[in-house]
Amino acid sequence: MKPIRQVITRTEAINNSALDEVLNLLPINLRQMLSDLPDPVKDTVEEIRIRQGRPLMLGLADGDCYVTYRGTVTAEQLEAYQVDAGDVERVTQLISRSSLYALEEELRNGFITLQGGHRVGITGKVLTEQGRVKNIKYISGFNFRVSREVPGVANKVLPYLISPEGRFYHTVLISPPRCGKTTLLRDLVRRLSEGVPELNFKGVTVGVVDERSEIAGCFRGIPQRDLGPRADVLDACPKAAGMMMLLRSMGPDIIATDEIGRQEDVAALEEVFNAGVKVLTTIHGSSLEELADRPALQYLFQIKAVQRFVLLGRSRGVGTVEDIIDGHTMGSLGVRLC
Amino acid sequence: MLKLLGAIIVVFSCTLIGLTVASAYSRRPGEIRALQNALQLLETEISYGATPLPDALASVSERCDTRVALLFNRAAQELMTMRGITAREAWEIALSEYYPKSALSRIDRSILLELGNSLGVSDREDQVKHLMLAKEQLKLEQTKAEDASIKNTKVYNYLGFLGGLTLVLILI
Repeated sequence: MKPIRQVITRTEAINNSALDEVLNLLPINLRQMLSDLPDPVKDTVEEIRIRQGRPLMLGLADGDCYVTYRGTVTAEQLEAYQVDAGDVERVTQLISRSSLYALEEELRNGFITLQGGHRVGITGKVLTEQGRVKNIKYISGFNFRVSREVPGVANKVLPYLISPEGRFYHTVLISPPRCGKTTLLRDLVRRLSEGVPELNFKGVTVGVVDERSEIAGCFRGIPQRDLGPRADVLDACPKAAGMMMLLRSMGPDIIATDEIGRQEDVAALEEVFNAGVKVLTTIHGSSLEELADRPALQYLFQIKAVQRFVLLGRSRGVGTVEDIIDGHTMGSLGVRLC
Repeated sequence: MLKLLGAIIVVFSCTLIGLTVASAYSRRPGEIRALQNALQLLETEISYGATPLPDALASVSERCDTRVALLFNRAAQELMTMRGITAREAWEIALSEYYPKSALSRIDRSILLELGNSLGVSDREDQVKHLMLAKEQLKLEQTKAEDASIKNTKVYNYLGFLGGLTLVLILI
């Protein structure tokens, strides 16, 4: 089978505008340096890391590198452009549209979602009030995560997630960080809401609880990512509460969420199972055995409601599907895709 | 005959100069008051609406007194171009265009410049504090401006005309 990696390469040309969207929110000097980068580098930029007093860095698909002031990449720290206080101040103003006061809620979560669905993680001095994070002051570091849509990544796994009668199985995607979990989830949501004619699957209503604004990349409540015609998105909503809200009011056929892990999430999932609504979610982890040790998830395995586990990894590039496991027999479906 | 014509021109122009200076004195209190009101609007936008600064400035410019609308409108425009400038820079550009056309004094300008340093860079409570501070300072300037206006408007009105007459007498 054709590696997913190749699919990504093919779509990069289309998605280079994603990087431009991010660059437009950087100060002119940084914008210049990064837009002078050679195209092969630009195509694989996943992260832009800006830390005060430290070299400007890029996170690429295969490791990180420094950026020089001439707009080239280097492995030598001394040649790298050093980010100064002025740069950090400008970045702060630009990503907040000069309105830090309007982003108190976002700062409390430690990230801002930009137009285009890209996320910026923020570090600095955290102010707390009664043990809860109130705000971030003296902002000093940013991590821009370039969000790229990769249409088509779901195609390979879809046949294993839809039953011969054309019904979606309860599915959990399991993956370590940065292995394309959210990208796959997003594409699955899009295909399910559009319908998959080749599998005799009609489009269904998908409710999405997007606690971290990563699936739909909402900007002011409007999804910036294509989730198909039948997706309802609750942006920045706590997962457990959001699932109940959707269940009661939006009549979903499938509920999709990102990164289940807490006890209350599992309890909410059980409600969803009981209501006869299908579940599509993800879990941070690298193997089923490891997950079974986590108390909150143990219960999820006990009730045997999940019908398909999809294990992702990086063994053959980002988004490698390592295995798909039948939740009932706990046996591999014998697929080793790509 | 020619002398008379010259005398009339001298008196006329001196009166005009006097009137212009007087009108600057009489316009200033009104403009400072308009500024305070506009800052009050901005404060409401920020503290209750948490409206992003570019939108807040634009909305203030539509609702505030036309005498100060230019300042807010220009600042909003600068910010909306997204060409990598900060709120302080946008505010300074707007102020440098607005100030020469206004009747404001250098002190008024420095109050506004000071405010520009803190626009948009902190949380809501802090923004409100800075706006309150600017308003307080402007209020102080307003009382001074009103006193100066009462005193000086008449003085310069007469001074221009009488100065012109004196000049004519000396020249004749």
